[in-house]
Amino acid sequence: MCASTVIPGTTLGAIRRIRSSSGAATGQLARQRPPQPVTWTEAEAIRQAQAGNAAAFEFLYQLHSRRVYALCLRMVGNPADAEDLMQEAFLQLYRKIGTFRGESAFSTWLHRMTVNVVLMRLRKKSLPTDSLEETMEPDAENSGPKRDVGAPDLRLSGAVDRVNLERSIEKLPPGYRTVFVLHDVQGYEHNEIADIMGCSVGNSKSQLHKARTRLRELLQEEIREQAREERKAAKSQSGALD
Amino acid sequence: MQCKDFESVLASEGSGPLSAEAREHLGGCSRCQDFLSDIDSIVAAARTLSSEVTPPDRVWLSLRAQLEAEGLIKEPAETALGPSWWENLGFFLKPRSLATAGAALLLAVTAVFLTHTSRTTNTVNVPTETSTAKITGTTGPSAPGGVTNSPSAPVDVTAKNSAPGPAPSRVKVLKPSPSENASTTLSETEVDVSNMRLAGAGNAQVDASLRQNLHTLNEFIAECEQHLGKHPEDELAREYLNIAYQQKADLLAAMMESGRSEH
Repeated sequence: MCASTVIPGTTLGAIRRIRSSSGAATGQLARQRPPQPVTWTEAEAIRQAQAGNAAAFEFLYQLHSRRVYALCLRMVGNPADAEDLMQEAFLQLYRKIGTFRGESAFSTWLHRMTVNVVLMRLRKKSLPTDSLEETMEPDAENSGPKRDVGAPDLRLSGAVDRVNLERSIEKLPPGYRTVFVLHDVQGYEHNEIADIMGCSVGNSKSQLHKARTRLRELLQEEIREQAREERKAAKSQSGALD
Repeated sequence: MQCKDFESVLASEGSGPLSAEAREHLGGCSRCQDFLSDIDSIVAAARTLSSEVTPPDRVWLSLRAQLEAEGLIKEPAETALGPSWWENLGFFLKPRSLATAGAALLLAVTAVFLTHTSRTTNTVNVPTETSTAKITGTTGPSAPGGVTNSPSAPVDVTAKNSAPGPAPSRVKVLKPSPSENASTTLSETEVDVSNMRLAGAGNAQVDASLRQNLHTLNEFIAECEQHLGKHPEDELAREYLNIAYQQKADLLAAMMESGRSEH
């Protein structure tokens, strides 16, 4: 029994090491053995990744990277930072994958890690006086939903396009932005968001409502700004004609 | 219900159905109707934003490099197969095992000597395609790259066991040269091993595993030899061939030992 377990393992292990290291020097040898696609279930891939299997790491990355990248991109607004943050999130995940016991869904665990990485980065970038609590729960006076009592509300119907919306999302405080992107863009439910953000379901609902209300105000400001620009352009055009 | 109360209901209920009281307020309040209509427009526009964006390939390459640098990626064979070295120590300390190991060492030393001899003459003395035929019959699909767990294609062990005597593919050495002597020694041992049942009757898996490893090793040797036939100056390939010979000697010794223990 010993021979059966020892020798096969060591021999094949040695061959694999030889093959993997011989690729560069003896290219022909390596080229004859293209890697084959691996099909696992997520649970199987997690077990393999816990054992340090490179293909399993790649499998999990390919499975989740598009959603994680989209989240990072919406959160920070530029591809270079999004790539950096996604790499950091996956790296943290793989460092801790040995401790994953499946209490929550793997994607929830990954998104929680991503949100933490992103919020920490945004916190570092913001003013040194901002606390994480303020990043998550902005001052209601300044950032929360508000109504200008004197000014009439502008109807947004038909005026919300992707460009306006994306620009306004970027202006949201990070905490609101996270909940809005997770719920309204990525389609997560409140219980999942609560798990990701480490808050209650009620808190998630409340944050989403505030985020939407704030977005409405930002979009209204955007529309007013555009209207002002148009008026200014029209005025200068008529002045030139006179 | 006031507008403020209506907004509180929206905040606590989310997108769920409104209560009768809230619906009643909404019916008579144009301001709240506008508000709800705007929120619906925002949500509808948000749903059109893509929830998945493909990242550039460089992110994975960079991540993988980092994982390797931190040692998080390990050889799958080492983690998936085999107990640790101290668990195997007992096996190697048996007198019969020591004798087999001695024989294996002798084979290995011969192989090393022959490889060095061929290197100094800088000619293609190491097994050519003719001598490779001794250990062919192993041309099936091979194991995928070094990162997967699946072993090479299964070998038809039953066929080997049910056909005693030298297989047609295992031909004797045609011309005497030092390297071929080594190959002959290995091939003869391989022929002996092919006629043995390598493990207990209840452990056909062990038998198949040993034979499969031999098959994979033979494939690799053949591959090295073929490469050296085309690039005789490739020292690295020669080095790998040398190591493969040693591994084959070790494996054959272990197989012989396993077979002997059954008789």
